[in-house]
Amino acid sequence: MSVTSALAGALSGLSAASRQAEILSSNVANATTPGYARRQVSLSSASLAGQGQGVQVLGITRDVDKQLLAERRLAQASDADRDVRAEFLKRLEQALGTPDSEGSLSARLAAFDQALVEAAGRPESQAGLNSIATTAKSLVDGLAAASDDIQAARATADRRIGEEVDKLNSTLARLQELNVNLRSFTGAGRDISALLDERQQLVDQISAIIPIREVPRDLNQIALFTTGGAPLLEGSAAVIGFSTTHTITAEMTQALGGLSGITINGRPYDTSGSASPILGGSLGALFALRDDLAVSAQGKLDAVARDLVERFAASGLDPSQPSGAPGLFTDAGVAFDPLNETGLASRLALNAAADPAQGGALFRLRDGLGTASEGATGDGTLLNALHAALTGVRALSSTGFAAGTRSFATLTGDILSDVSSSRLSAQSERSFASSKLTALTDLEAQNGIDTDQEMQQLLVIEKNYAANAKVIQAVADMIDTLLRLDG
Amino acid sequence: MTRISVGDASLTNILARQGADLRGQVQRASQEVATGRHSDLGAALRGDFSPLLAIDASLARLSAYKSNTAGAAFQAAAQQSAISGLSDLATGISTTLLGAKNYSTPAQIATLAADAKGRLASAIGLLNTQASGRAVFSGVATGTVPLDSVDDMLTALQTAAAGATTAGQVTAAVNGWFADPLGFGAFYQGGGPLSPVPIAAGEAADLTTTAMDPALRDTLAGFAMAALVDQGVLAGDATERGRLLQQAGQQLVSTEDARTTLAARIGTVEARIEAARTRNSAEESALGILRSEIGSVDPYEAGTRLEAIQSQLESLYLVTARVSRLNLAEYLR
Repeated sequence: MSVTSALAGALSGLSAASRQAEILSSNVANATTPGYARRQVSLSSASLAGQGQGVQVLGITRDVDKQLLAERRLAQASDADRDVRAEFLKRLEQALGTPDSEGSLSARLAAFDQALVEAAGRPESQAGLNSIATTAKSLVDGLAAASDDIQAARATADRRIGEEVDKLNSTLARLQELNVNLRSFTGAGRDISALLDERQQLVDQISAIIPIREVPRDLNQIALFTTGGAPLLEGSAAVIGFSTTHTITAEMTQALGGLSGITINGRPYDTSGSASPILGGSLGALFALRDDLAVSAQGKLDAVARDLVERFAASGLDPSQPSGAPGLFTDAGVAFDPLNETGLASRLALNAAADPAQGGALFRLRDGLGTASEGATGDGTLLNALHAALTGVRALSSTGFAAGTRSFATLTGDILSDVSSSRLSAQSERSFASSKLTALTDLEAQNGIDTDQEMQQLLVIEKNYAANAKVIQAVADMIDTLLRLDG
Repeated sequence: MTRISVGDASLTNILARQGADLRGQVQRASQEVATGRHSDLGAALRGDFSPLLAIDASLARLSAYKSNTAGAAFQAAAQQSAISGLSDLATGISTTLLGAKNYSTPAQIATLAADAKGRLASAIGLLNTQASGRAVFSGVATGTVPLDSVDDMLTALQTAAAGATTAGQVTAAVNGWFADPLGFGAFYQGGGPLSPVPIAAGEAADLTTTAMDPALRDTLAGFAMAALVDQGVLAGDATERGRLLQQAGQQLVSTEDARTTLAARIGTVEARIEAARTRNSAEESALGILRSEIGSVDPYEAGTRLEAIQSQLESLYLVTARVSRLNLAEYLR
């Protein structure tokens, strides 16, 4: 019955062509859908007992380059990591202020320096003394503002860690559900492409937070591990634990207590160092910001504050003050204690004795902080000494800067240059990471839907369909011919 | 593997990214053209701010030195004019005083003595000069004038010279009082010399002259001797009174040198202040030029860059429009 089988073959050709048209329409419709992978109908020739029986549809394949996908996910993580670091350093540079911005630390210092020189030239001038007090307070405010910015950045980082951990947990739970669905769909032999699309997108979302490795399992299941080796999804989803801290002060660190670390399924993991399994993405970078970058920036700012305090508290500078008494600048009103350096930048205050706003009197700037009543109005000796104390070079008491002696202006310049050059190198690392990500994303996009190609394909399908229909018509004619022989 | 298909999204991504990049560059360049400042100063200086900060600090300090030199120059000028006024007072009477012994009638002596007292009062007034609210001969006690009234001084001198019967004794008593820390030293209301005024980097002007300066003190003593005659010292002894006036004249003549030396000393300080002022303003303009070289954008370069990016962006728009029309579906009709 070869004529009948010809008819059957042509019919199978028709149905294959319509299946192809269906998939093609789905491809064209999703040409711009993110995460949609191009589908293809895989065909093979059908045969029955060694005889050709037309064409059969084997199934739908998703066109995904797994290798490229994995590489792009890693690039995504490292881009997110560099981005967090570069953004923080940029913010830090702005907090200190570059010389072209108003209210920069260096501009405040220059104004204080200028006020001291002017007052020394005219010690009896109330306005001159007032401008020393004002500019000194502005310098203190500048240090405090920068320090507040740093602590605010830490608090923001802490909050973002909390958000990202929540996102990780909910995404992992959703992935676990998808795994279950996929198992049953695969068992039932249904089309799983849409589920695979969704799963790929979910994994993409968390791969910026932590760099992950996807391991395929039977029945279209996947397991997820961080590249550092911590399990995130293996049958069931891992539960990641973190608690946010609302207010963060300079004294609080993860090591000394007060700030939360991270747990996976209840087990604590390191958040820094080579043993930490969560590094490489935005989560690791946020921990690095909160526990390292911002802490060391604060340390440098405190070193600057300490240098300022110690310059003006040197014994013998102000003869009216006993040795060990607080100088022009105090640690929140009392003398500075070297054991209490952390957070000094935010606690710095102008000595109350010389600050009219705190019940002091301006003449003490000129006559000495310990004097009870106003002395000779034209005596600029102490003012000259104060200026010399500010501009003289001295060795730094704190660590964190290269050794050597500096004037205070050099020190503030050093901290700014230091921050600025690390910002620049962080930015160049970021552009390196982001251009790598861009290149991989471009490659991925090239594998995406090409409507021109789909249209070409459509022409072929159209032609195939017409050809198969023609075959049916011919077979029908042949059968008709046979039937007419009877009559 | 050679691909025969390129995803639509690829081209869209590339065009969008290049567009965004170019627009960012246009924004930066136009900002630089408009403000004349680098949009990223840190990058322009390669992260090293120290030269720029040093310039800024120097400029701020130079503006402080500017007001200091002006103040110091004013004070020195006020001292100079007081001293020259003092010399004028002295030369105006010294010759007449020198001749007092020879021609004097009691009435002439009285007139001369009254003139001398008036001049003493003027001399005290000159030394009490205030320049912009600051007593210039009071040293650090800028708020108080250095000397009390002429009558108080003469009363103190009369007490010191009480019992003197000859002109020589009076002269000795007067000079003794002026040299005595409990005499004129206590009469002087001012303080110690002014602390040095910073006028340039590492340089300070010493405006140390006070009313306690020997040249000024001895001049005052000269006037005071003659003025004492007016107060009735050596009353009734016309010869001794005439001799006292003569000795006062000698004292005024002999202190001329000291006054000139003092004026010259202040003049030297004035010259130093002036030199510092010139140097500072030269330094200020040099630093200003350097500041704009380091910290500012070359407007020509920024403008050219803006032009270049602009035309690049225009070409990109053209390409985007052309490429978007290249679409097989358009031709399949």
